[in-house]
Amino acid sequence: MSMQRATATMDADVLIVGTGAGGATTAAILAEAGLDVLLVEEGDWVEQGAVVPFSLDQMDRQYRSGGVTVALGMPSIAYTEGCCAGGGTEVNSGLYWRPPGELLARWREQFDISDFDPDDLLAIADEVEADISVSTVPGGHTSPSEVLRRGADALGWRNGEIPRWMKYPPSKLASEPRSAVGERQSMTRTYLPRAMKAGARLALRCRVDRLVTNAGSARSAVTTLGDGSRGEITFRDVFVCGGAIQSPALLQRSGIRGHIGRTLAVHPTVKLAARFADALNVPDDVPVHQVKEFAPHLSFGGSASNPGLVALALLDQWATFKHAITQWRNISVYYAAITSEGRGRVRSLPGLKDPLVTYGLTHRDRELLRSGLGRLALLMLEAGATDVYPSFKGAPVVRNRRDLATMQGAFTAARASVMTVHLCSTVPMGEIEGKCGADSFGRVHGCRNIYVNDASLLPTAPGVNPQASVMAVAIRNARRFLDAGGCRG
Amino acid sequence: MQWLMRPVPALPIIGSFADRLLLADLPDLPPSDRRLAVDFVAHRVDNLPSFTRFGVMVLGFVFRGLLAVPGGFGVAKVLVKLPLPLVAEYPRLIRSLAFAYVWETWPNTTATGAKVAATA
Amino acid sequence: MPAASWMRVAAVGDQLDRGTIERWALPNTTVVTGAVGWLGRALLHRLLGDPQRARLRLLAQNTSEAAELQRFVDDHAMNAREQPVVEIVVGDVAKANTAARLLHQLGHDTDVVHTAGVIHPRRVREFYEVNSNGTRHLAVAAADRGVRRFVHISSNSPFGTNADTGDTFRGDEPFNPYLGYGKSKMAGELAIGEAAAAGLDATIVRPPWFYGPFQPPRQTTFFRLIRGGKFPVIGSGDQRRSMVFVDNLVDGILCAELTPAARGKGYWIADQRAYTVAEIVDTVGRALVDEGLAVKPPATHLPPVASRIAEIGDRILQGIGVYQQQLHVLGEMGHTIAVDISRATAEIGYVPKVALHEGMRRSIRWCLDHGLEL
Repeated sequence: MSMQRATATMDADVLIVGTGAGGATTAAILAEAGLDVLLVEEGDWVEQGAVVPFSLDQMDRQYRSGGVTVALGMPSIAYTEGCCAGGGTEVNSGLYWRPPGELLARWREQFDISDFDPDDLLAIADEVEADISVSTVPGGHTSPSEVLRRGADALGWRNGEIPRWMKYPPSKLASEPRSAVGERQSMTRTYLPRAMKAGARLALRCRVDRLVTNAGSARSAVTTLGDGSRGEITFRDVFVCGGAIQSPALLQRSGIRGHIGRTLAVHPTVKLAARFADALNVPDDVPVHQVKEFAPHLSFGGSASNPGLVALALLDQWATFKHAITQWRNISVYYAAITSEGRGRVRSLPGLKDPLVTYGLTHRDRELLRSGLGRLALLMLEAGATDVYPSFKGAPVVRNRRDLATMQGAFTAARASVMTVHLCSTVPMGEIEGKCGADSFGRVHGCRNIYVNDASLLPTAPGVNPQASVMAVAIRNARRFLDAGGCRG
Repeated sequence: MQWLMRPVPALPIIGSFADRLLLADLPDLPPSDRRLAVDFVAHRVDNLPSFTRFGVMVLGFVFRGLLAVPGGFGVAKVLVKLPLPLVAEYPRLIRSLAFAYVWETWPNTTATGAKVAATA
Repeated sequence: MPAASWMRVAAVGDQLDRGTIERWALPNTTVVTGAVGWLGRALLHRLLGDPQRARLRLLAQNTSEAAELQRFVDDHAMNAREQPVVEIVVGDVAKANTAARLLHQLGHDTDVVHTAGVIHPRRVREFYEVNSNGTRHLAVAAADRGVRRFVHISSNSPFGTNADTGDTFRGDEPFNPYLGYGKSKMAGELAIGEAAAAGLDATIVRPPWFYGPFQPPRQTTFFRLIRGGKFPVIGSGDQRRSMVFVDNLVDGILCAELTPAARGKGYWIADQRAYTVAEIVDTVGRALVDEGLAVKPPATHLPPVASRIAEIGDRILQGIGVYQQQLHVLGEMGHTIAVDISRATAEIGYVPKVALHEGMRRSIRWCLDHGLEL
């Protein structure tokens, strides 16, 4: 494999900035077609197993800014971005949701995306699912996952196991049950090795500060290397795949105007900690069940719940919740996620390394967060929770239906710990001026050889885990680039 | 503006306030562990994105100043309860980082910071 | 005996035959509170038409209400060969001793249908006196008497409004009461829950906005606004509203009364599906035209902020104990209130027979027949 230290000057046919679900797939498609591909990644290559999933150590090594990033607003929304080879695919829950066909059709209509046939994308999804081994857990589910199923079943709410892109090693003895602990088929296990096998080079700890542009063409990128020194990369075409925050920020730093960074879309989530009579906590994995009865506008699922994260879930009302912390083995954390009508902005400010990110929830979003948290708490009671601790300032402990009413009355989004992990739509694709930052295939409007190929392109937040949508769109666009004779113009 | 943000380490600015805050929240946490938690918080603040870090450092200066005067910690505690969203975010950030660190590192810590023997 | 009433009772029986839903025989005595109200009269009309209901005992708030009820019963008797024995008890449901008098000497062969409630009071505290305390008194007394089934008529209001226009309330939802009415009706539901824990066999019926015959004169405003093109549509009118034709509601109440398995459960009773506000305005307009009335095209579109402001104003006024109906209705118009009736269909065999257009035509005809000006 061609993993190399970044050097002061490098050159390639195609420069790909970022190695996540968008960058890695783009690299594999283009390298396998014989193009000279250079991938640059700001973070490090961290082998799976080197860090405990969802730990602070992982946050230090694989997340941007140690996982402490926030979109300012009322309330501010905490978000996380992967910053390592493989990007978000190395650190997320691994749950896989195809983009719903009707959503793809709606994107095509509302953003006027050419040649965007839902069936074609779903055919790509078929390929992806084979490539990254999308499968269900072979044995039983963890107790926190069973809580979601049990509570939803009691209420008659639609729920199910979400498959993950994981391989489950076969048991050594036929009599042993198969391991429920899977090996993540993240980008460092799948598309990045594929790209490098086909000749792509990967330079780690190499940050692209800006693209040098002239009349809509970019010829080189100014970089900062791991040791703080400056570098330059020359190329014929560039794919910006840094995710929905970093991609628009890089374009803005490069002086590119247009509809860039103005329509950040996320799935805002609120959470609660639920305590049960028996121990159930699984510190290093997340539940695979989700409750989709109210989809797409409302979904419920389980969060990582190591003792540190349980403490965080109790933090907003620590004065009355704190004594639960010694019971963390009996506690698991769950979330309610909404589709948001609000939007955010990513703004690069002169002189600042990182962009300013803001997000505004609408009145409807706030009410939906309240409703989501209420229904989630009801589900927990039905699943047998003895105490529910909602994560907002002023929250009561919920033990019965009357408490639920008190809880909903006390809730305001501004008092809640709102967070998100799904960031999209900062360079929406399509042909509508003033609404789309890139064309139907990811080329930045007004630019000749600058492409975006990551979650930024998704016209809206998809209402489901977005990685599948990101990969399908990225592969489609990379193929289109080849078909259009990319790199030979 | 970058000179303002990068070279100044967070620990001297936010350390004393973070220490007082943790002492108040977790009085039974051994002082050596509290120092580790404060170091961790400072390390994370050092890695914050530029804009957030700038805000945290400004608030850090203000709160450090308050601690220097008698009764200042009491004033600070009142200050964060006022409906000034960004001001309240400061102790909240310190608390979340510290609590996550404390309970991930020593899961058998009680609500006051004391250590208990592991229970099954 | 009017044939129509027989058919409706038989219809409940049809539902019984189609599924495996077990039903009780009719009780000896059926107690109805709020019988003089809109829903109460529609229910009473049905009960009077069924001579197998041996005895009805009705609660009237005062002597003039009692006289009004007596007239209603007598009018009905003129068209019927036989009808149940009717007793009228006078008393304020909000007062603690009324329930004991109402249920005097009644026992397990008794069903109680509690429709009494305040929707548009003069003062906010009336909500609590009737909807909360009245319900508690009655439920406690019914538990004491060991009645067979207590059907409590609640509302959508304890559950608030749907936060998204695409959202629909499922069979079981967390309380999130909408203002004073919602809080008082929630307290009523909780009182039923407490009495149930003490042994009361109770079922809760939750109707949304209802319409149909026996409407009070104030409801003609609704038709008049639509006729004049002045019904306030908020935004594009894409808010969804569940409604229930009052005869469908009576069907649902009877299903809840007579199905043993309904014990301890609550059911949404509404038309088959929710309608958008734009659809409601359009359909009612067509129904008016079909009944020979002229209708102006809808012209009163208000921005969503108007409804928000009305809601905030309503909230503030209710905070100081004042209830203003127009403000309340306008505030609520901006919301979706949609419910899913599938649990009622599956568990108690409730199948709504009339949909919006036909229901509104019947409603308009009833108004015209009763000399109400639309």
